[in-house]
Amino acid sequence: MLEVRGLAAGYQGGEVIRDVDFHVDSGEAVMIIGSNGAGKTTLFRSVLGLLAPSSGQVLFEGSDIVGMQAQRIARLGISFVPAERRLFPRMSVYENLSLGAYPDRPDPETVELVMDLFPRLAERRRQHAGTMSGGEQQMLAMGRALMAKPRLLVLDEPTTGLAPKLAAEAYRALGALRGRGLTVLVAEQQVPLAMAFSDRGYVIENGVIELEGTSEALAKNPEVRRSYLGVT
Amino acid sequence: MTASVLDGIVLGLQFGLLAAGLTLVYGLGGVLNLAYGQMAVISAMATLFAIESGVPTLPAIGIGLAVGVVLGLIFDQTILRPIYRLQGEARVLLSLLLTLGVAFIVDGYLTWRYPTEGLTIRIEGGPIDILGVPMRRGSIVASVITLVALGALFAFFRGTMLGRAVRSVIEDEEGARLVGIDPQRMLRIILALSGLLAAMVAVTQSMVRPVTVSAGFGITVFALIVTVVGGLGSVTGAMLAGVILGIVSSIAASSIGTFLSLIILLGAAGVTILIRPAGLLGVKE
Repeated sequence: MLEVRGLAAGYQGGEVIRDVDFHVDSGEAVMIIGSNGAGKTTLFRSVLGLLAPSSGQVLFEGSDIVGMQAQRIARLGISFVPAERRLFPRMSVYENLSLGAYPDRPDPETVELVMDLFPRLAERRRQHAGTMSGGEQQMLAMGRALMAKPRLLVLDEPTTGLAPKLAAEAYRALGALRGRGLTVLVAEQQVPLAMAFSDRGYVIENGVIELEGTSEALAKNPEVRRSYLGVT
Repeated sequence: MTASVLDGIVLGLQFGLLAAGLTLVYGLGGVLNLAYGQMAVISAMATLFAIESGVPTLPAIGIGLAVGVVLGLIFDQTILRPIYRLQGEARVLLSLLLTLGVAFIVDGYLTWRYPTEGLTIRIEGGPIDILGVPMRRGSIVASVITLVALGALFAFFRGTMLGRAVRSVIEDEEGARLVGIDPQRMLRIILALSGLLAAMVAVTQSMVRPVTVSAGFGITVFALIVTVVGGLGSVTGAMLAGVILGIVSSIAASSIGTFLSLIILLGAAGVTILIRPAGLLGVKE
């Protein structure tokens, strides 16, 4: 479904990621783990058209989307939930959700699905997004991304700043979505949750993919255990 | 007193509509259009020439409004192109310089070619009593049109997907792109809308007093004052500030004098900005 080959990208100060290869097959849940500053966000931004990569290919369902604007990529069926969430603060929960369906009117069934998944959003339908707690905003960002009925959902650190209970709830929702056939790609620092959720994973360090494998295999890798699972 | 307040509301509604067109373009594109008043004047002149060449008033107004929309689109495609390439403060600065240049050229040309022209649309009929105050029919018609336009503006922004999409770009441009909204396209739509609003201001104002060829800078300055007091980028703020400043200005004019009312208006604007630098309903950067 998504295939990234030899991707390099960075800012004016130099390249942040180099020669990154990874792929996500249809129906899979794939995680990219790495410490703060390893290049996860740069990688996602360059895959999703928010940052122009310096070289490499990004294939979505066979066609190259490198150099495409983020707004066009969004309409191809990829929804991205950035770590900063990027909600519309002075608009209501419902308006935020409805914009997720843009340019179409929100589909009532999808609204219902999102509200079932995140009952808090149903309670706060008319509240301004900017006045909600971090956890609620994360749910809204995920809900908004789902309104477009994406085939691939990409999330950058969905649990950053969330209390453990809310982080677990976010992953419970993602699990439910997988049950409906959604393909998910997630970057995470909270590795245990992501590991339990995903089928496969990649470890990124200093902008380079260092390790890859099934989540089970990675969970057994001594290096991963030491660096990301806190096992000594 | 009641008469002053009512006059103030008439004036304030116009202020609000005036500022809406300016504040939207600023909120969305970070462009402060100092040629806004000239857009209104050109639309007024288009209406005037249409009427003078025998077109009935209503279609002539239609022509003026269409000219406003086209002017907005031409702006978007021409002098705003180099401005869009810049970001942040540089963008605001270049927009000030370029649009001010255009304003001077348009103003100079119009006052040279048509020094004595002015658009007046006469509304037939005697005064109408509102709360015991006889109000000029032209003022009432202008206010009703303005209210309908403001209502339509609100319905567009609250109730349509396109209107919400425009607001979302003001709220968070990257967030808007992530849901598939093209900010550049929204800006084009808003410039067309801004041109339409400028033309509507010219038309409604001409029902109350003549809109002369040299009215452009005055219109821009009032729009700027109201915009700054209401909060840049906030249409609701523009409405609110428009009505408040309209009433202040009208009461000051009737109790102290027209000349001082302008000073009081500027004073009120200054005080608001000292107390709330972001304006009544603006957001802090």
